[in-house]
Amino acid sequence: MRFTGVRHRYHPDGPAIVDGVDWAIPRGAIHCLLGRSGCGKTTLLKLAAGLLAPQEGSVRLGGAQLSGPGARIGFVFQAPTLLDWLSVRDNVLLPLSLKRRPDAADHAAADRLLALVGLGELAQRRPASLSGGQQSRVALARALVAEPELLLLDEPFAALDALTREELQDDLLALCAARGTTALFVTHDIAEAVYLGDRVAVMAAGRLVHDAPIALPRPRRAALRYEPGFAAACRALRAAMDETSAGQRSAV
Amino acid sequence: MRRSLPSLALLVALLLLWETWVRLAAVPTLILPPPSAVLATLWSEIASGRLWPHLAVTASEMLLGLGLGALIGLASGIALAKSPALDRLLRPYVLASQLVPKLALGPLFIIWFGFGMTPTVAITALICFFPLMETALTGLREVDPARRELFRMLGATRPQTLLRLELPAALPTIMAGLRVAVVLSLVGAVVGEFIGGRVGLGASIIAAQSVMDSSLIFALFIVITALGMALYEAVRVLERRVLRRFSKG
Repeated sequence: MRFTGVRHRYHPDGPAIVDGVDWAIPRGAIHCLLGRSGCGKTTLLKLAAGLLAPQEGSVRLGGAQLSGPGARIGFVFQAPTLLDWLSVRDNVLLPLSLKRRPDAADHAAADRLLALVGLGELAQRRPASLSGGQQSRVALARALVAEPELLLLDEPFAALDALTREELQDDLLALCAARGTTALFVTHDIAEAVYLGDRVAVMAAGRLVHDAPIALPRPRRAALRYEPGFAAACRALRAAMDETSAGQRSAV
Repeated sequence: MRRSLPSLALLVALLLLWETWVRLAAVPTLILPPPSAVLATLWSEIASGRLWPHLAVTASEMLLGLGLGALIGLASGIALAKSPALDRLLRPYVLASQLVPKLALGPLFIIWFGFGMTPTVAITALICFFPLMETALTGLREVDPARRELFRMLGATRPQTLLRLELPAALPTIMAGLRVAVVLSLVGAVVGEFIGGRVGLGASIIAAQSVMDSSLIFALFIVITALGMALYEAVRVLERRVLRRFSKG
């Protein structure tokens, strides 16, 4: 996944929401994008998904120009956005059932994914009877069922309690590692970005203002959160974010 | 059943009060017949079989008008929701078709469609069309934008988005519109018969009025109310089934 000089504005005369972003994500890597609300990170993610076309610059996936949303990209939204009238399994199968009638292999793939996120028993239930964390897990399984090369996640765990969020982070790492999926994870939670990312970029006012690798070993486990290296990485990112917001305030 | 017991008790009490008052105050039967006389008339209508053809005609007019109006209403609601340009073009006319007093169209419809069931079915359909169109339009417009974005992300076509997202999501709203339409269809059928009917419950009321038979008019009220309640309950059952299939839980 490669962004080159990407610039986008919603109104021709309005400000550029994404303002000259250059970024490359190597295959199989997990990159996190950190930023405060309204800094343009959701717009950048929509550009990466092909939901928006950039006015300047290019977004390429595996060398080819991105021309629109497709099966190569999985997307996890801020809310689970499950369909209330379908069973959990049918929700997971939705990306496939919109293309063709799912066959036995597809059903098996959906059940395997549900088992991986610990919901194997609940495949026949309706989403409304699941907890928030379980709904997020279903959304994650749905994004992966078509075996995308790239997974885009837009603050998917922001509404969950801290413990559930950490479980889901572990689930996500395991799923991506098992399939070699490339991921771009947008969040405003510094610890989440450090725990998940091979690399973390900080975005402010449409630009990437800071970009650093996270030199923590993989596979990462919960104990990592209490190690000095983890805290140091969080502190460094916090300093970078404080610097940009101080800069913005003085500019105003 | 247990919950409807107080309602039933209230009905019995009111009927007793009515009966007593009419007898004690010697109210003329033409003005207000006692419940006992109304029930006797109702029974004789049922027993003699005079009632059934009228009931069958009114029920058919209701069902045909409701079905026709609901189908056209649903289709136009979908069309207007999908095409804002069409909505802007046709909205004033749709509104005008509802604001013109539809019953005043009755005489015109008789000229167009002749006497018999057709003009009444047309009036009923015209009345039932509106709640279905409005609720379909509202329900389809109010589909969660995040779910629309999901379907766009998954590369769904417009028909797929309509059939697999928008209609299921709008179904509870549309069913509420159908319930309103059922109630209105009875008004359409009965009042349509006032104008041009020879057979039917509404036409029977006009006939009873011409011979000053108040207790027959009251007996027909009971039949009309029962018909409405039966159809309303049928729609409720349908609604529960549909919603169980297409909603949470």
